[in-house]
Amino acid sequence: MIAPTSELTPDQLTRFIHQLGYGLTIKETCYGANIEGPKDLVAKAVPEIRRLDPNRIFIKVRAYPIGDERRCRAHHGSRPGFNQMEKEWKDLPLIEAGLVAAEAGEACPTKPARRQLPIKRLLEIAQEEMK
Amino acid sequence: MKVFIVPPNSLILYDLVERFGHQPLSVMGELREKVTQREMEAPPLNVTQKDVMKGLKYAGIEVPSGVRGRLAIWGPMIDEAEAAIIMHDTPFTFGCVGCHRTNLMLMYLIRKKKIPTIEVDYPHDEEEGKIMVNKVKCFLEGLK
Repeated sequence: MIAPTSELTPDQLTRFIHQLGYGLTIKETCYGANIEGPKDLVAKAVPEIRRLDPNRIFIKVRAYPIGDERRCRAHHGSRPGFNQMEKEWKDLPLIEAGLVAAEAGEACPTKPARRQLPIKRLLEIAQEEMK
Repeated sequence: MKVFIVPPNSLILYDLVERFGHQPLSVMGELREKVTQREMEAPPLNVTQKDVMKGLKYAGIEVPSGVRGRLAIWGPMIDEAEAAIIMHDTPFTFGCVGCHRTNLMLMYLIRKKKIPTIEVDYPHDEEEGKIMVNKVKCFLEGLK
């Protein structure tokens, strides 16, 4: 999956994987690409694909094979994992910032955990707005 | 090392674990084996009798079948895990992991196993993203 901040397009990514010449099955998708093939070849391809845009390309295993009738949109398959993909796709720029900071050895001091807004404070804000 | 991730279908955690040199244990990897077996090519019957029996090892018979069914997949992965990363604040619409009771049970099983575990939150801004990645990186680099 390509992070939204990347200038790479799924088309460029797919062409790059084709050019590697591993004979993998590749499917361009709207958020990146799916690849399928023997485990050793996929393991060889993954670091090379990641090198293309190291902090903006994210890779995971997919359960269903490419074009599987139970999942593929061309066959009206259901997409129960879509909400997860959408949520994490939006968060990828934040992870990218983290990876860049980790590479640079930036110190990241922890901060207190988020808390719910107390009702008193909410009332105060509302009253300030009313004035 | 084999690292179990929660949510078990998280792209972010799967990528980070693999990026920092460990083997992620994810629900996608486990299901890949299942959905490509001939026995599973007959939806909606996608649970076998063996799975039901496996689930009973992790949750009693009175527990809802959805919880037992999920634990039939995730339970053996926890048995196999040598470390775990838990990411909190997951949206409830998170695909197949949207069952809160199973998630509570999952965390209980992980904590009970007493393996090296780190708990982080989904980041809301860049600063939190940096803190989260830094924590995960330090944890994974410390696993030997």
